[in-house]
Amino acid sequence: MMRTDWRDHDWRLIHTIPQSPSLHMALDDVLTHEVGAGRRKPTLRIWEWAAPAVVIGRFQSLRNEVDADAAERYGIEVVRRVSGGGAMFIEPGNTITYSIYAPQSLIKGLSFQEAYAFFDEWVLQALGELGIKAWYQPLNDITSEGGKIAGAAQVHRGGAVLHHVTMAYDIDAAKMLDVLRIGREKLSDKGTVSAAKRVDPLRSQTGLPREAVIERMVATFRRLHGLSDDAVRPDEQARAEELALGKFSSATWLADVA
Amino acid sequence: MHGEYKMLGGKLVVVDLEVRDGRLADVRLSGDFFLEPDSALRTINAALEDQPAQATETELANAVRDALPLDVMMYGLSPEAIAVAVHRALHGEAEA
Repeated sequence: MMRTDWRDHDWRLIHTIPQSPSLHMALDDVLTHEVGAGRRKPTLRIWEWAAPAVVIGRFQSLRNEVDADAAERYGIEVVRRVSGGGAMFIEPGNTITYSIYAPQSLIKGLSFQEAYAFFDEWVLQALGELGIKAWYQPLNDITSEGGKIAGAAQVHRGGAVLHHVTMAYDIDAAKMLDVLRIGREKLSDKGTVSAAKRVDPLRSQTGLPREAVIERMVATFRRLHGLSDDAVRPDEQARAEELALGKFSSATWLADVA
Repeated sequence: MHGEYKMLGGKLVVVDLEVRDGRLADVRLSGDFFLEPDSALRTINAALEDQPAQATETELANAVRDALPLDVMMYGLSPEAIAVAVHRALHGEAEA
C-alpha cells in the first residue's frame, strides 16, 4: 500500500438535518465500513444533534463516568461510541462535531501522534482564518490560548480509518459537571473547567454564530482538499437505523464496560 | 478496590478489582485510552485475573504484555500504566 495524499481522493461532504445520538453512533460505524469496503468515497460528515447526549468512549466505565440520575433528570441520552477517548457532553448547538472517513493509505507510515495531527491540519488552518491561534496538543486535543477547543478519536477498520472530533462551541459547564463524573486525575489537566460557568472557546474567540464557524471550516476543507456535496445513501441509512435501534440502543453495548 | 493512573503524555487508566484468597478477581480495566482491536480489553482483564495480589508492577505488566497479540495497538495506554493502576487499587496509594 502506497501512502496517498488528500488530493489523491475525491472527498465527499455529508451535512444533513439533526439526528438522534444513537443514529450518529451507527452512521460512524456504517460509513467507516463503507469507505473501507470501497463502496463510498472518502467523506467528511458534519454532525447536527437532535437531542442532548452524553457520548462515552469505547473503554470508559459507564458508572464511573456518568451520573445516571442527573442525566435522566435533564433528559439526556447516554450512548457509547466505537472509538476510545473521553466523554462528550452534547446539547444541540453547544458543540461542533465532525467525522472523517478515510482510507488508511492516507496515514500510512505515520505514528499515532502524527496521524491525529495530520487529520486536523485543515481545522487549525480554518481556526486561523477565524482569528484563533490553535495548535495540536498530543495525544488527541486541539487547544488555543483560550484553552482546550477540541478532542479527537480514531478507529481503524478494515482499510479505513475513522477520525472524529468534537469542538466546544458554547458548553454549560455547570450542567456538564452535574452529569459527568470527572475524576480527580482527569481534572489535573482540566482545572479551568470547574471554575468557569461556560466552556465557550469557539463562541468567545470568534464572536460568530456556530453556523458561520462550520461554514468557514467546510470552505477551508474544500479549498485545501477538494469536496463535493453528498448524502447518506438509502442502503447506508437503513443499515445505520437498524444498528441505532439495535446495538447502539442496547443496554449490553452501553454497559459493556460497566 | 479502585485505582487510577494517568501517565505523563498518556490517558486515564482505571482499574477496579477484588482480592480473593490472595489473588486478583473481577478485574475491570477502563479509561479514556485508545486500544484496538477493542476485544483486547477482555484479554487484558483475563490476563490480570488470578494474579497474586503480591505481584510486583513488573510482573503485572509482563502478564499483560504476554497475553496480548502483537498486532494490538495502544495509544495513551501501556502494560506498565495498567500495572501502576492495579498497584494503586491494591494498595490504596495516593496520587503520585
